[in-house]
Amino acid sequence: MITIAIGKGRMQESALALLAQAGIDVSDDAVNSRRLALIDETGQYRFIFVKPADVPVYVEHGIADCGIVGRDVLLESEADLLLPLDLGISRCRIVLAAADADAMTKVQGMIRVATKYSQIARAHFGSRGIPVEIIQLSGSVELAPALGLADMIVDLVETGVTLRENGLTVVEEIAVSTGRLVVNRASYQLKTEEVGRLIKTLEAVV
Amino acid sequence: MTSRIPAGMRYYIGAEARLRRTVEDVAMSVFEGWNYEEVITPSVDYYDLFEQGMGRTEAQRGFRFTDNDGRLLALRPDVTSSVARMAATLLSERPRPLRFCYAAPVFRQQTQSHAEWRRENTQLGCELIGVGGTAADLEVLRLAAEILSRLNLQSRCCITINNVEVFNGVAAHLNLTTDAREQLRRLIDTRAAAELQQFLQTFNDDEAVAFSQPTQLTGNVLEAARRAITNARSMAALDSLEELWTGIESLGLESSFEIDLGDVSSLDYYTGLSLKIFVHGAGSSVGRGGRYDGLTGSFGRSEPAVGFVLNLDALTEVLGRSGKQD
Repeated sequence: MITIAIGKGRMQESALALLAQAGIDVSDDAVNSRRLALIDETGQYRFIFVKPADVPVYVEHGIADCGIVGRDVLLESEADLLLPLDLGISRCRIVLAAADADAMTKVQGMIRVATKYSQIARAHFGSRGIPVEIIQLSGSVELAPALGLADMIVDLVETGVTLRENGLTVVEEIAVSTGRLVVNRASYQLKTEEVGRLIKTLEAVV
Repeated sequence: MTSRIPAGMRYYIGAEARLRRTVEDVAMSVFEGWNYEEVITPSVDYYDLFEQGMGRTEAQRGFRFTDNDGRLLALRPDVTSSVARMAATLLSERPRPLRFCYAAPVFRQQTQSHAEWRRENTQLGCELIGVGGTAADLEVLRLAAEILSRLNLQSRCCITINNVEVFNGVAAHLNLTTDAREQLRRLIDTRAAAELQQFLQTFNDDEAVAFSQPTQLTGNVLEAARRAITNARSMAALDSLEELWTGIESLGLESSFEIDLGDVSSLDYYTGLSLKIFVHGAGSSVGRGGRYDGLTGSFGRSEPAVGFVLNLDALTEVLGRSGKQD
């Protein structure tokens, strides 16, 4: 049996749907029971549901053999994992947004960027040699520019509605994020057959 | 006085300390049985030594400080650099081959997210210096397998072997820039199959296909690689892998080994064979090694060398946990 860690919330629903499509079923009752660990109906897979940011942690430590997690989380975590398959689920964009689309040229002095994704923001500006002040927030990042905490934000955008409602527009797309299958390096070598089977099964429905 | 312990450091007490010593004794007695002489290298050395021996990125993970005269010192982040220098200088006149083994702590800074949290690790290692070829490679592989078997881990372990020249040959054949080579290496290393295929399509070259299925582990990987690869450098590497595999089979050890052409994590260090050791219960590899014919040359005497290290702390953790379950 192999253990698969799945990020709770948005990713969980689309991941379970994709798995069901691939013939790996978890009964609705089990999902609704709010238990944090489940076994699929064939008994081949155990699922654990954890906070998205913890998926790379469980997989890197080998507590989970595999994980399903967004690229946004992976870019932020810098965990050392194998990334065999892009599942194409939960597609969204990581963008740089501001009140003014020309903000990059208009801000006076040091640019202040509020974000939950400080690694991604730092790497983005760092690769262009633009010095910025990163302000780490843990939620409601869209508020920061309106309240004067920051000039811009780096955030995940699905539809863009939240941005518009807060008077922000996309300055630049930094990356596209989709759900990925990630695999622990040791599990990949030690459970070759099981992991290989999972990759093949999912490949067929992506 | 402080009650806190620095991150990545720990105590071993009682049973755990005993287990650790037992594992160390097992490894050292296997080395000794193969005529490997124990060597104890300085715990502190010039930082330059490690930069020369390990490359800048790895050496910079060492704990560094200055000597009285202002020169930069480091707490040793590896043992191999020091052994290579010793072979090239102090022991340059000694008849070859040289066989050395050690059990010694090394110190490295860890990035915060990494699952390997320890900053002090004891390496159980060996170096075979002055002989090249399959026989020498096979000797260190046998040593690794014998230690694992003496620890009753033979049915729970997998030693992956590769020859980095397979990748190097293809990269040279495709005439890759440094950046593109690194991108190709990263895509293979992380087994990002779809991205890799996209990347390789831009070259329109049959050789590239050899790596297009890095997730394909089972089956005869050598045969599959041979169908795609035509450049002489990679072909020679595949030949030597095949020869090594025949040797492994003739020793009846094939169940502990796996050929993994996708192991391209330390290309700048190794020059031929590279190996990684995995054990059920450990989330990352518990050992690694390979051939590093380029290393002793940087100390003034170029000669072939091959070796590996096992991580004593990781092994003790696995054995300690499985002991409790039994």
